[in-house]
Amino acid sequence: MKIYTGTGDRGKTSLFSGERVSKASERIKAYGDLDELNSIIGALVAALPPKYTNLVDELEHIQSNLFEISAILATTPDSPSMNQLRSFSRKEFDALEKAIDARQNELTELKGFILPGGHMTAAWSHIARTVCRRTERHMVSFLVESIQGEIPDQYRNAQIYLNRLSDYFFVIARYCNHLSGTTEKLWKK
Amino acid sequence: MEAKTDTYSTKLVEHCRLSKKSFEIRLKKPPLFSFKPGQRICLIYSTVERDYSLVSTPADNDLILCIRNVEEGMLSPLLSTIATGTRLEFTGPHGYFTFQPSPRPAIFVATGTGIAPFCSIVSSGVTDITLLHGVTLADDLYYADFLRSSVKRYVPCLSDPDESSVDYFSGRVTEYLQKHLAPGAYDFYLCGRSEMIRDATLLIDEKFPGSFIYTEQYF
Repeated sequence: MKIYTGTGDRGKTSLFSGERVSKASERIKAYGDLDELNSIIGALVAALPPKYTNLVDELEHIQSNLFEISAILATTPDSPSMNQLRSFSRKEFDALEKAIDARQNELTELKGFILPGGHMTAAWSHIARTVCRRTERHMVSFLVESIQGEIPDQYRNAQIYLNRLSDYFFVIARYCNHLSGTTEKLWKK
Repeated sequence: MEAKTDTYSTKLVEHCRLSKKSFEIRLKKPPLFSFKPGQRICLIYSTVERDYSLVSTPADNDLILCIRNVEEGMLSPLLSTIATGTRLEFTGPHGYFTFQPSPRPAIFVATGTGIAPFCSIVSSGVTDITLLHGVTLADDLYYADFLRSSVKRYVPCLSDPDESSVDYFSGRVTEYLQKHLAPGAYDFYLCGRSEMIRDATLLIDEKFPGSFIYTEQYF
């Protein structure tokens, strides 16, 4: 099957729920950011030594979740297509909170602002953190502009997940420096 | 996004020729396999895998596939000659190309074997639709009798100018949409060649704003 379709050559794209929308819309920016974030996580996984299988599994599960969030964002809430998607529940961000707490317990206490960087894996994780923040900002813009009344659970849970996810990548950046024996550099005024 | 699917074992029950270039195969439906009208399976034979939409309905005992024999193809020449009783494997169901009820009129547009998922959807009771089937020659208008008698409006479109007849629209499906479909917002279901899907989508954007588009691209 051909990879290119040409259906977006005039600046529109199709949602999973069938609507045609401008590629300039906040919705499309948000799931474009999700795609970028997912690719950056792929780079982080590629840079990790193979022995960290638990962390790789955790990151690949996050990548799968981001695909699901992309599908949710590409679907209008009251459409029949939404029924074809798995419900994105709070158990996913509960799991993230547990992962954050578990990694955090292995780290020294933070004494100030740290410079993003250190080991290559930590640097990728900081990039993931910042792109995740941008993704969430675009998602909130989309929700504010497009949803009248109460925000549907699928969208709300996805936004909460992204909010937790950037915290997760902050901790993972520190954790990667810890695993590799790289000293964190503190911000000096 | 797509849920993980199982692998099933089946056997070929019957071949049936549909036209000079296309044929139908019937596979025994495994007891635990279920699907929605419009979905695909991925057929595995030897080391080759290919996706095919199901012509049959979930209520049928057999799984029916509509296949065009592509001479340089990896699987279709093999499938056109394998013996009844041959064991095959498949995974599925795959895809989301299923009917979504809505207040807008539904327009189904197929080219070639892209008619397959529409046969399943129509046989399952969705008949208040307009269905366009674009082929080169009238010989490839398989399922025409069934579709003509089942749906509200069936429009066979023949792209070969030598095949012109009062029974068919002479031209591509996109030409029919351009010339004969009244302005308005519709639900378009497009299945078949990528070129048709591209041309139809750009035409719909221009001429039928507010429409919804669902697609299943074959090649």
